[in-house]
Amino acid sequence: MSKTIMTVDDATTMRRMIAFALKPTGHAVVEAPDGRAALDLARSRQVDLVITDVNMPNMGGLELTKELRAIPSYARVPIILLTTESDPEMKNKGRAAGATGWIVKPFNPEQLVAVVSRVLPN
Amino acid sequence: MKSSLQQQLIADFLIESFEGLDQFDQDLLGLEQGSADGETLNRIFRAIHSIKGTAGCLGIQRMEKVAHVGENLLSLMREGRLKANKDIISTLLKYADALREMLRNLEQSGTEGTTDHSALIARLQELQGEPSVASTPSPAPSSAPAPAPAAAAIATPETVAPEAVTPPVSTEPNPPPTSAAPTAEEDAAWGFFSDAPAAPAPSAAAAVESAPISATPPTSSAPTVERETTSRGSIADSAIRVDVGHLDKLMNLVGELVLARNQIVQHIRSSRDSAMLPVAQRLNLITTELQEGVMKTRMQPIDNVWAKFPRIVRDVSQELGKVVRLEMEGRNTELDRTIIEAIKDPLTHILRNSIDHGIESPAKRRAAGKSEAGLLYLRAFHEGGQVNIEIMDDGAGVNTARVKEKALQKGLVPPEQIARMSDREACNLIFLPGLSTAEKISNVSGRGVGMDVVKTNIEKIGGSVDVQSEAGQGTTIKIKIPLTLAIIPALTVRSGGERFAIPQVNLLELLRVESGSAENSIENIFDAPVYRLRGKLLPLVFLNRVLSLEPPDPSTLTSLNIVVLQADGRLFGLVVDSVSDTEEIVVKPLGKQLSGLTCFAGATIMGDGQVALILDVMGLAQHAQVAAVERTAVSAKTEEAQTDEQTRRQTLLLFSVGDRPRMAMTLSEAGRLEEIPRAKVERAGRREVVQYRGQILPLIRVAQHLPGGGEDPIADPMHVVVYSEQGRSVGLVVSNIEDIVEDAVRVEHRISRDGIVGSAVVHGRVTDLLDVKGIIREAEPAFFES
Repeated sequence: MSKTIMTVDDATTMRRMIAFALKPTGHAVVEAPDGRAALDLARSRQVDLVITDVNMPNMGGLELTKELRAIPSYARVPIILLTTESDPEMKNKGRAAGATGWIVKPFNPEQLVAVVSRVLPN
Repeated sequence: MKSSLQQQLIADFLIESFEGLDQFDQDLLGLEQGSADGETLNRIFRAIHSIKGTAGCLGIQRMEKVAHVGENLLSLMREGRLKANKDIISTLLKYADALREMLRNLEQSGTEGTTDHSALIARLQELQGEPSVASTPSPAPSSAPAPAPAAAAIATPETVAPEAVTPPVSTEPNPPPTSAAPTAEEDAAWGFFSDAPAAPAPSAAAAVESAPISATPPTSSAPTVERETTSRGSIADSAIRVDVGHLDKLMNLVGELVLARNQIVQHIRSSRDSAMLPVAQRLNLITTELQEGVMKTRMQPIDNVWAKFPRIVRDVSQELGKVVRLEMEGRNTELDRTIIEAIKDPLTHILRNSIDHGIESPAKRRAAGKSEAGLLYLRAFHEGGQVNIEIMDDGAGVNTARVKEKALQKGLVPPEQIARMSDREACNLIFLPGLSTAEKISNVSGRGVGMDVVKTNIEKIGGSVDVQSEAGQGTTIKIKIPLTLAIIPALTVRSGGERFAIPQVNLLELLRVESGSAENSIENIFDAPVYRLRGKLLPLVFLNRVLSLEPPDPSTLTSLNIVVLQADGRLFGLVVDSVSDTEEIVVKPLGKQLSGLTCFAGATIMGDGQVALILDVMGLAQHAQVAAVERTAVSAKTEEAQTDEQTRRQTLLLFSVGDRPRMAMTLSEAGRLEEIPRAKVERAGRREVVQYRGQILPLIRVAQHLPGGGEDPIADPMHVVVYSEQGRSVGLVVSNIEDIVEDAVRVEHRISRDGIVGSAVVHGRVTDLLDVKGIIREAEPAFFES
C-alpha cells in the first residue's frame, strides 16, 4: 500500500533529489520548504513519514520534530533528520526532540531507500 | 554524460546557490554595519550549509570541500565563539566570490574549475584557529567510506564511490560519543535512535521511555493551537518559479493578440456592424487587461540590481580609501526583466564613477567642511509611464571648467561652441566618447570609456540620461527608461506611399507648414535644409530622400508635415508626407538580413494587417549626420523658448471616445459636464435632443465625427459636455470623462484631421485635441449663425 512521505528542506534541489530517490518505493512524496510550512502541511493531511533537514529558516528540523510529536496523530510517525557530519551534537538533540533516526548528507539513494523501507515496510 | 535529471538538479542548485550567496553578501554587510539581527547569522550560516549539503549530494566535491571550511568558521560565529570583524567579513566576501566563480564554471563548463583556493582556505582556517581551538566541534570521523553522492549515483549507478571527502579541519581528536545517545544500529551514514520507533509498530515501552513521544498530547501543545490560527501560507504555496522562456513566449503571444485585436477593432469600426461593436469593445478591454497582466509577471523590482550595490560600494570605496554611505529609496520599483538586465551594467558603472570621481577623499571632504563619509543616494520611482532612476552624490560635482578644457584639448567640440556652453550643457559633455577628467586613471572607473557607453546603452532601450551638477555640492544623474520594450505607443506617418511607425518616446512635437509659407520658411545652410522654429534652426531630414522613396506629387502637396524628434541629444525635424494616428504597436525584431540597417528599429503589424517598419530615430539622425552636440545646445534653448513663449499652462478636460486614445479639450470650451440618462433622449427629426434647463439641447455624438466614425456604445447615463455660446447650448456625447488637468501644454499644432484640431503632450502622452467648434459646425451648421 502506498504511503505518503513528507520531505522538508529549504533547498529545492535537495527536495527534488530525495523525491527522485524515493520514486522506486512507490510512495507519494509531498514537499515543504521549511518547518513552519511542513507543520501546516502535516496538519492538513496525515503523512506516514517525515524526512527533514535540520537547518532551515522559519522553523528548523528539531523544532518541527518537537511540534509534530505534540500532535497526537504524529506521536508515532517516524521522523528522519537529514544532517551533516559536522553536527555530532545533533544526535543528542535529535533524540531529545523525538526523532526516529538520522541520515548524513551526502547520502546515496540506496541508503535512503534502505532507511525508508525499514521504517515503512510495505 | 550527465543525465537530464542531474542537469536539472544542477540548474536548480545554481539558481539557489547564486541567490543564497547574494543574500549572504547582504547579510555580511549588514553584520558589518551593525544592522544585523539574530536571524542574520543563522541565514549566513545556512547559505553555506545548503551549498555544502547539496553540492555533496550532487557529487560536486571540490565545492563541497570549500563550502565545508566556510561552514566551520560560520558555525563558530553563529555559536558566538567568534566575533565578526572587518578582516573576517572581507575574507568571507572573497570566499563568496570564490564560490560564485566555481558556480559559474559549473554553469559554463560543467566542472568547478581549477582555480586554486588553497590560500583562501588556509586564511579561513587561520581565522577560526584564533579562538579556543579545543572547543571547536569537529566532524564525525569517516570510518566508513564516504557514501557515493546521490546524484552521481543516479547518473551512473555503477559508479564506484569517489574518494572520501576528508574534512580539512579535523586535526584535534573527536569528542567521544556522549553516553546519553546510545544507538541501536548505525553506520557512518545513517542510524536510528535506540529509544525511538525504528519500526512502524514501536513497543509501548519504547514510546513511554522516550519522553517526547506520547500518545496524549502534553500540555506544551497549547502554543501549537495558537500558532495554527496565526500560521500563514508558506512562500511555496503562494509563489512558483517560472521559466523565463515561458514568460517571453507569453509576452510574444500577447503581442500577437494585440495585433489581432487592433485589426478586428479597426475592421469592425469601419464596417459599422453594430452587433459586433460591443464584442470588439470587450475584446479590446480584455486584451488590454491581459497585456497588463502578462507584463506584470515579467516585472521585477529594481532591487534585483541594487542588492549588489552595497557590496560594490564597499569594495570600491575601500579600494580608493574613501568613506561612502549608500542609501536607496524605491527598491521595490518594478521594471520589465529585459530592462532590468539592460540597466545593470550602466548603473554599476555610474555608481563606480560617482565614488571615483564624485565623492572626495575624507581629508578633502573635511577641508571642505563636509562630513567624512560621502553620501550616495539612489532613488527609483514610476512617473508618466516611465521609470526614473536618480543617482545622487554629495561630492565635488562635475568640474565644468576642466571638462570644457578636456573637450577642447581633445578636439571633441569646436571652441566657439564651448564658449557658448552653459554649465549644464558642459556637464553633459561627460557623455562624449573619449573624455576622461580623472586626474589619475584608476582601475575603478576605467580609462574614459564608460559614460558614453552608459548613455548609448540606456538610449538603446529607449531611455535618456541627464546629468546635473553643482560645484562642491554634488552631482545628480537622472535616468528615464520605459517600463517595457515589447509593446510601445507609436505615431504612424506616411512617406512615399509607405507607412512608418515612430516610437512616441522620441516624439517632441508635430508641425504643419502650409504650402504657401513652406518655401519661405525652409532655408538651406551649407546645403542642409533647416526650418526656423521659434527663432531656432531645426535641421530637417526628408524621410523620402533618406530612404530613396518616391517624392510626393508637388501638385497634391498642400503642406509640409514635420515631426520633431529627439534622440541621442539631437533634435531634428523629419519631413513626411502625412501624419496618422498614434497606436500601441508590438515591436518585432527585423530578420538577420535586415538588422544591419541603421534607420530601422524593427517592424510591426498595423491594424489593417499591413507591415510597417519602425524608424530608429537615433539611427536616422546618425545616418543623416545631424550634428549632435550643437543640437544639445539647441534642445536646451528650445526648451527655454518653449517655456517663454509657447507653453501656456492650460486646464484641459481629458475624456475618451470609444476605444480611441485619450482626447482633450480646453476646459474653457466645456461649459458644464452632465450625466443624462438615455431614457431622457428624444428624437427630433434626425437629431437626438434632451430637455435641459428649459431648453432643447441637441446632442452630438462625438464618435461619429472622428476618423473611423462608428457608433461607439454609449454609457448610460451618457456623459455629456455642454458647450454654450450666445445663450445657445449643444451637448457633446463622449464615452467617459477621465480627468481635468492643469498642464503646461507643450505642443499645439494645427494638424487638421477630421474633428481634431491638433495634438498636445499631456502628462507625457500625446493627446489629440478635439476640434469642438468644427464638430459643432458639422453637426449643427446653424449653431454659430447669429
